[in-house]
Amino acid sequence: MQTVTLVPKEQFKISIEAETITPDNFAGKSAQDIGAMIAYEGNTPRPLSELFDITVDGSADAADVKIEINGNVARVKRIGEAMSAGEIVINGDVDMRCGALMRGGSITITGYADSWVGREMRGGEITVKGNAGFYVGAGYRGEPCGMTGGKITVFGNVLDYVGEHLCGGEIIIKGNAGILPGISNKGGTIIIEGDTAMPGSEMTKGTIIVKGTVTEMMPVYQNEGTETVDGVEYTKYVGDVTVDGAGELFVK
Amino acid sequence: MSELLIKNAVVYDPINKVNGEKMDIAVKDGKIVDSIGNGADVIDAAGRLVYPGGVDAHTHIAGSKVNIGRIMRPDDSRLNNKPRTKITRPYTGYTVPNVYAMGYGYAEMGYTTAFEAAIPIMKARHTHEEFEEIPIIDKGGLTLFSSNWMVMDAIREDDLDRVAAYVAWGLEASRGWGVKIVNPGGGEAWGFGKNVAGLDDPVPNFEVTPRQIIRYLAEANEKLNLPHSIHLHCNNLGKPGNYTTTLETFDICKDIKPKRDRQAVHLTHIQFNAWGGNHWGDMESKGDVIAKYMNKNDHLTIDMGQLVFGSATTMTADGPVQYANAKLLKARWANGDVELEDASGVTPLSYHPESYIHGIMWAIGLELALLTEDPWKVLMTTDHPNGGPYVNYPDVVALLMSKKKREEAMAKIADLTFERTSIATIDRELDWYDIAIKTRAAHSKILGMVEYGKGHLGVGADADIAIYDLKPDETDATVEHEKVKAALRKAAYTIKGGEIVVKDGEITATPMGRTYWVKSTAPSDAHDRMMADLKLKFKNYYSVNFANYMVQDEYVHNPVIEECGYA
Repeated sequence: MQTVTLVPKEQFKISIEAETITPDNFAGKSAQDIGAMIAYEGNTPRPLSELFDITVDGSADAADVKIEINGNVARVKRIGEAMSAGEIVINGDVDMRCGALMRGGSITITGYADSWVGREMRGGEITVKGNAGFYVGAGYRGEPCGMTGGKITVFGNVLDYVGEHLCGGEIIIKGNAGILPGISNKGGTIIIEGDTAMPGSEMTKGTIIVKGTVTEMMPVYQNEGTETVDGVEYTKYVGDVTVDGAGELFVK
Repeated sequence: MSELLIKNAVVYDPINKVNGEKMDIAVKDGKIVDSIGNGADVIDAAGRLVYPGGVDAHTHIAGSKVNIGRIMRPDDSRLNNKPRTKITRPYTGYTVPNVYAMGYGYAEMGYTTAFEAAIPIMKARHTHEEFEEIPIIDKGGLTLFSSNWMVMDAIREDDLDRVAAYVAWGLEASRGWGVKIVNPGGGEAWGFGKNVAGLDDPVPNFEVTPRQIIRYLAEANEKLNLPHSIHLHCNNLGKPGNYTTTLETFDICKDIKPKRDRQAVHLTHIQFNAWGGNHWGDMESKGDVIAKYMNKNDHLTIDMGQLVFGSATTMTADGPVQYANAKLLKARWANGDVELEDASGVTPLSYHPESYIHGIMWAIGLELALLTEDPWKVLMTTDHPNGGPYVNYPDVVALLMSKKKREEAMAKIADLTFERTSIATIDRELDWYDIAIKTRAAHSKILGMVEYGKGHLGVGADADIAIYDLKPDETDATVEHEKVKAALRKAAYTIKGGEIVVKDGEITATPMGRTYWVKSTAPSDAHDRMMADLKLKFKNYYSVNFANYMVQDEYVHNPVIEECGYA
């Protein structure tokens, strides 16, 4: 087991691009080695040691690395990008694209996760205990697929376009979701326990289950009667018919 | 200016019939010379492969549709990113690189000249604005005339001289080098949501046929004595069974007498036009049939349009075909309207070896190059970025040179491909001389650029030279294809106009290249008739004012102008 603790030295005013903060990169490294790694503050490369107080306890492979971030990293982007194993715990809020392209391991965010959390994620698990921003698990501009595997759970509310271009994996939103969840989906599952509007537009494949209220439906679905999922009865819709879609939308 | 001596070069220079000779090359003031003094800088090639700088006669590197590709593909611009250095600006993009990377990418592979294959006259300013910023390489462009109201009206009135006068004017207005024809008539039909079905299907409202458009433009091309022949993208591209249209199109120019020592017609990216079958389900290769025609006839040249597996961004003035592609593949689609002149479309797509259709397309390109005996008749291209990005040229060269490499590639391709093509039975492996022809010499000859010192290393030629980190004597290209690919991907040296622009695959200098264009003249009475019609069309139909239309000289940096006209 290797535990790496990062504490920001200052309140960052300019956002930091810190895709170097991953268990894969930190595995087996000393505090000095980790401190020499680079993050960008705006367009300026800075060693992590200038930005964070770093303590390292033990040494292990990526799978047994735990990175704990204490303090305000609400302006630090891309933490855990493309990580394949290990664990990251962020005690507080985090900036955009946390866990983007992640392949394995887990990330826990106790506060708010800004937009694009888990974008194009392929595997692993992200848990957000607070709210999350736009485009949870979505594909970046122009990508044919957003998330293709893994699981994202958000305990709070999320903003618009959760799971855009989802091709696989699972997203669970315990709170409410903004408009157009699962837009252009091609697979995967989105479960929204709260309310939302206009789910599943342009969906060709995949499943969306809304347990709360759908305040507005897109008129692009075929009503297929009722179906029971996990003991709860829903109205089942199939579509989006305008794109010959076979996606399934379950609405209470 | 500086002098340079390249010693111990193993040179392949097909235009001067130099086949792997070990020799020295002397450079003075940007040109190849017989000999130079003792004070020259010396590069010891030490038995390595030396080619004339590469020439690409058909690529899409600049202009509005390339830019539409960039806009609609932010996913592409995240690939291949490289930060700026003291010498280079940042690189972005794979299929549609940013403007600077277009030049860097070619230069890194030892290419020094590239011709943009489609300039709509109305949007030519955009093309030249990008040319201005593409570093290192020399450029030129081919101007679109194939669905143009001026051309079709003159043809309807059987006024060949007026067609020629408009071609001359259009080349000047767009600062273009040659006549490009894309799906003749189809662009106009697309304005009504239609396409032309074949060579004798009349264009709506004009009652001229694609056959006439090709024929008149080919004759006008020779009347004007242009350096390049017409450059033709056939009708029915991308449709199973289109090879019959292609063969008919070949015949149209059979009796055209070229005024210069070159082909009567160049037919481009024939891979997309050599398809048999009646629908996607029974599509098969007719590459062998096309190659047989090529072996029997000398009036035409073609280029491969080789498919490269992976991401591509298709872009063409063939508007209807792009709509069909986008519908079929549920892909993104951009449509471009060029008012009285043509249409265009852009669709990103991806080629997969698991798809037999893509497998067949891959095989056809190679069949065309390998079954056509004369290497001068078939250029190596990928129709960048339609068949795949130009950075994959080294991969295509390796496929042409090594049956082993082809077998390795075939192992990953859908089996049905090999029932529908003959690629698995082809043993031919091209040598370094053939590759020099297919990647520079023939490109230069077909474009009419030999006399401008391109594609060869004879005395007086431009000192555009590529040295690759590979010794032909010690390398068996049929086996060591990975080595071949690596060497061609990053030239040991690229020398442009006597200046070292690439060393060990890294850019070392970024001089600006030239832009070649043709100023030709038609008889003044035909010119007057044409101008009267043109002014009327501007008055009645164009959204642009005549006075604001033509590309001005300020747009064209380092111009080289070929002057020609009626004999």
